Amino acid sequence: MIEFEENPRRRQIETVVPLINVVFLLLIFFLLTGTLKKSDEVDVDLPVGQVDDKKHEEELVLYVEADGFVHFQDLVMDAQMAPYMLRNRFKELSASAVTVKADQAAAAHDLIQLMEGLRNIGVEEVMLITQQSKEAE
Amino acid sequence: MQQGGDDLFGHYEVKRRIVSLTPLIDVVFLLLIFFMLASTFLQTQTLTVITPPEAESEVDTDRTVVEVRVTTGGGFSVDGEVMPLERLSEAIKAAMSGDRDAVVSIMAEEGARVQPLINAAEAARLAGAKTVATTRLGGGE
Repeated sequence: MIEFEENPRRRQIETVVPLINVVFLLLIFFLLTGTLKKSDEVDVDLPVGQVDDKKHEEELVLYVEADGFVHFQDLVMDAQMAPYMLRNRFKELSASAVTVKADQAAAAHDLIQLMEGLRNIGVEEVMLITQQSKEAE
Repeated sequence: MQQGGDDLFGHYEVKRRIVSLTPLIDVVFLLLIFFMLASTFLQTQTLTVITPPEAESEVDTDRTVVEVRVTTGGGFSVDGEVMPLERLSEAIKAAMSGDRDAVVSIMAEEGARVQPLINAAEAARLAGAKTVATTRLGGGE
């Protein structure tokens, strides 16, 4: 009678062990492969690219949405007006390089206009962020 | 081993083991869910563009200029010749005719999107161009 009671208990432990193993493996997989990043304030669909200049992203990030609006910190503005609105803020931060995350569906004119504007307010380097194409992997 | 000796003692050991595993599994599951939700697999890269100074000293007329047009529909043309994306880099390289100081001027027509503009800029970079300029066509200010 005693042996009958103990057998099912043992079995229970044994069935849980492989589960724990798998869960541990998954945990280790996500720990190693995933990277933790601050999530973007604005959801943009980045353009696909191949060239990587291997530079660190600047902390000042400008977002260009598909509809042409430019986001910077708490400001939302039109691409054409962006340099005027950003001039004082950039002067305070003495920014000479910025990161631009433009939506792939945004108008090229808006992005070029923004870069022209940034040049006029003293930004020397613009880093365009692209996402790795799946074929390149 | 547990069955041998004191029956009561044996039962105790088995019970303790079962109890201590459950919170561990809970924590591991929580950690797993956290990492699954918080980690990103999107690999990003940077394309650096140097914006030229406001007043360019003088325009060097000797330099070769390669005109790359990005059309409204997302097509490309190099010096007026329509070019598919796959051959764009080669065509730019050919148009530069070995002059690494050649200026590649990317002109985006009105209505063109960012993706083809980036493609054109990358093609110019892959062709070995040092100076890549972007301009807008039409639409005025």
